[in-house]
Amino acid sequence: MQVKHSHIILDACCVLNLCASGNFLSILKTIPAQSIITEVVKQQELKTLQSLTVEDNDGAIQLESAIQQELILIVDFESALEEQTFVNYVFEMGDDGESATFAIASHRRWAVATDDKKAISFFKKEEPDLQIFSSLEIIKHWSEVTNSSSRELKNTLSAIRVKARYLPSKKHPLFSWWQLAMADE
Amino acid sequence: MASNILDNIDMSRLGELLQQARKKCGVTQADAAKIIDAARTTIVAIEKGERRLKPNELIKLARAYGKSISDFVQSRPVIQPFEVQFRAAYRRSEDEEAQINPSISHLEELCRNYLELEEIMDAPLPRTYPQEYEVTNMPIEAAAESIAIAERQRLGLGDSPIAHLRAILEQSVGLRIFYVKMPSKYSEVYSFDEKLGGCMAINANHPEERRRWSLAHGYLHFLAHRRKPVVDFDGQYQRLPESERLAEAFPKYFLMPTSSLLKQFNDMHRSHGKFTPTNLFTLAHYYGVSVSALVYRLEDMGLLPSGTWDRLRDRGLKIRKVQQELGLEAIMQRTDVTPIHYQHLAIEALDQGLITEGRFANFLDVDRLEARRIAEVLREHSSGTLEDITNLDLRLA
Repeated sequence: MQVKHSHIILDACCVLNLCASGNFLSILKTIPAQSIITEVVKQQELKTLQSLTVEDNDGAIQLESAIQQELILIVDFESALEEQTFVNYVFEMGDDGESATFAIASHRRWAVATDDKKAISFFKKEEPDLQIFSSLEIIKHWSEVTNSSSRELKNTLSAIRVKARYLPSKKHPLFSWWQLAMADE
Repeated sequence: MASNILDNIDMSRLGELLQQARKKCGVTQADAAKIIDAARTTIVAIEKGERRLKPNELIKLARAYGKSISDFVQSRPVIQPFEVQFRAAYRRSEDEEAQINPSISHLEELCRNYLELEEIMDAPLPRTYPQEYEVTNMPIEAAAESIAIAERQRLGLGDSPIAHLRAILEQSVGLRIFYVKMPSKYSEVYSFDEKLGGCMAINANHPEERRRWSLAHGYLHFLAHRRKPVVDFDGQYQRLPESERLAEAFPKYFLMPTSSLLKQFNDMHRSHGKFTPTNLFTLAHYYGVSVSALVYRLEDMGLLPSGTWDRLRDRGLKIRKVQQELGLEAIMQRTDVTPIHYQHLAIEALDQGLITEGRFANFLDVDRLEARRIAEVLREHSSGTLEDITNLDLRLA
């Protein structure tokens, strides 16, 4: 996983998946760029994260720990142009969270982490030069950097599957890798 | 995408939406002006659609009103506000208005979502509406039974119990039916306009027998008084108008057809030599109606002496307890807020990458986690497999 940009903004789908993994902080530590979440996503998804149970905490507490340790920074719009792009994207996509994520990424030239099909196709058309990563790419990278055992990897992916109810599309480039990692040893 | 969408948007519509949102959360124009560092007259002009908003101002106001930007800038289907229809239809007290208005607004929002999904998927809801029944000057009971028989025949229902009433009205007729939580005295809200067709909100808090009765009641309004909006609640009338008497009479004929009920009653009576409370409970369960509704129907038909229900009640009959003892399980029905067709449009839009996951969750009125659970269930139901075959045209396969 080579991030060409200084920062990577995680969208709501990705935050939910990583929070559910049970290894949220460890995963964030291995991302080779500063992780970011927009204020819009944080506010919108707090309720969802609170309903996500991970070990003895809820997802919102996991996120708070990551923010306290500055593994994740929360950002908001900093210029009139960012705000204008945000409103324009909302008009196109009808989704405040994705629009805020992509508007800020577009103006600050940051990478994005998302699993959202509509958002990916929209952003590829708008900003073909910016990198887009998936939750699975981030998890795969984490498992390689930390040299995770197959059991640990399977547990992590299973937690995302069960708690966040995330199932990759068969067309996902890492679908075979995911299937193999999820298979019984 | 360099231009500013706010330069091209319908300003009067945006102003109207901002005003509604401000009023809903109890913010004054003066307070709203402070939020964007402007004079009160600026807010007045914005809400009148006379002054364009800057993106920054819209973001600040949306946050202060607890709304999303998408609530203001998305082009959504325009429908006649339900509140206007209902306000014109009948008078309510302030208390009643405060109780029922949130449900009416909720129904309106769900109907608008439905139209939006149809537009996104280019798949309008098929309608097989009958002509409106002419009932002027007809005797109520005869008219109700005649419409019930005609509709059963039209829908191919014979005289059997209607197991999946909601599904039939949604799919075979093309009504938009939502299960919405309302205060307990309210049963149903019915509305019609040319664009949406017939729409109903049924009180999700009621037991299924009562919901089925309300569905049939609302269906009669659609069949016989199509363009008249209705909010049905207990104690609404001192004297029932004719339209309401017809709607009250229709469910018993539609849910318990005379021919079928007579046969069932006679069979039970013959095999036991008497008609017992156990028979009563079993039969009510068979038709999916309440025990009291069945007793009144049998009294009307002269099969039970009048006053039977009162006598049973005076003896302290515990309906739920008896049902449990007899092993009569609760009637299984879809109790989701939204119709199945609506849900399938939403999942197809998501899987085809036409809407984001966040928007999918908004359409289903749930958080993202619950939306993912529903998506999984819908995918399993729609094909038994995953997304790559959902677009397959089986006629060509």
